[in-house]
Amino acid sequence: MTRTKKLTLCALLTALALGLSYAERFLPLQLLIPLPGIKLGLANVVTLVALCLLGKGCALGILTARCLLGSLFGGLSGLAFSLAGGLLSLGVMVLTAKAKGLSVYGISVLGAAAHNIAQILVAMGLMSTVFVAAYLPWLLLTAVVTGLLTGSICAGVLKILPKEKLL
Amino acid sequence: MPDIKTRFSKWDILPIAAVAALALAVFLLFLPITEPAAQVEIYQGGNLLTTLPLDKDTIYTVTGAYTNIVTVKDGQVAVTQSNCPGGDCKNCGWSDTAGKSIVCLPNGLEVRVVAGNSNVDIVVR
Repeated sequence: MTRTKKLTLCALLTALALGLSYAERFLPLQLLIPLPGIKLGLANVVTLVALCLLGKGCALGILTARCLLGSLFGGLSGLAFSLAGGLLSLGVMVLTAKAKGLSVYGISVLGAAAHNIAQILVAMGLMSTVFVAAYLPWLLLTAVVTGLLTGSICAGVLKILPKEKLL
Repeated sequence: MPDIKTRFSKWDILPIAAVAALALAVFLLFLPITEPAAQVEIYQGGNLLTTLPLDKDTIYTVTGAYTNIVTVKDGQVAVTQSNCPGGDCKNCGWSDTAGKSIVCLPNGLEVRVVAGNSNVDIVVR
C-alpha cells in the first residue's frame, strides 16, 4: 500500500471514528443501565479494524487523533478519559493479538475491559477517591457484552474488506 | 501484524471468563465497605463541602464551573439536576450504598455515601 493511500485511509477512519463516537451520544444507554459513562463504544470498532488492516502504528494514530478532535465536543475532562481508556485498550489489544488462539471477539472483550479499568482509574485519580471503584464490577460485565458486539461488527467489516482488497 | 482471526473460537471463552472473574473479585473486594449507609459527604475538588444525613430529605446546591442539585430523599441521594456536559452524574440514579459515589467530573463533584454517625440513636434493620 502506498503511503498516500495509507494516510488517506487513516484520515477516513479517523473521521468515521469521530462520527461514531458523536452519534452514539444519542443512544440513551444509561436509561437501561444506570452506570456512569456507559457506552457501546462503537468508535472502538474503527480502532480494532485499523489494528487488523493497517497495524498498530496507524491504529494508535487514529485513536489519538480521534480523542484529541473529539475533545472539541466533549471537553477536556472527557479527553483524559477517552485517551486513557483508548490507550490502555489498544495496548492490551496489541499484546493479546499475538495470542494465536484468540479471535477478534476475545481481543475486543479484553480491550473493552481495559478501557473501563483505565477510565475508573482516571476517575479515582481525578477525584482522589476510591469510592467509584464500586461501579467497576458492573462495568466489566457490560464490557464483555460490548466487547463481543464490537468484535462482531469488526468481524463483519473484515469479511467484506479483507486485507487483500485494500492493497 | 499477524492476521487476526475473525471467527469466534473456543479460546475466546478465556478472556470472557477472566473479565467476569475480575468483576467478581473487585465486587468481593469492595463488599466490606458497602455497609448500610448513614450519611452523605459532598466533596468538590477533593474538599469536603458539607455532610448530610441520609434520613432527612434535603436539597443541596453545588455551584462552581457548573451547577449540580443534590437531593436526599427516602434514604437515598442523587444528583437530580445538573447543567454539566454529559450528565453522567444524573444518569447514576439514586445511591444509598457506601462505595457507590456519584461523580460529576466537569464540576469536580463527588457525592460520597458513607456509613457512620447520624442523628438517629439506633438503626433497626
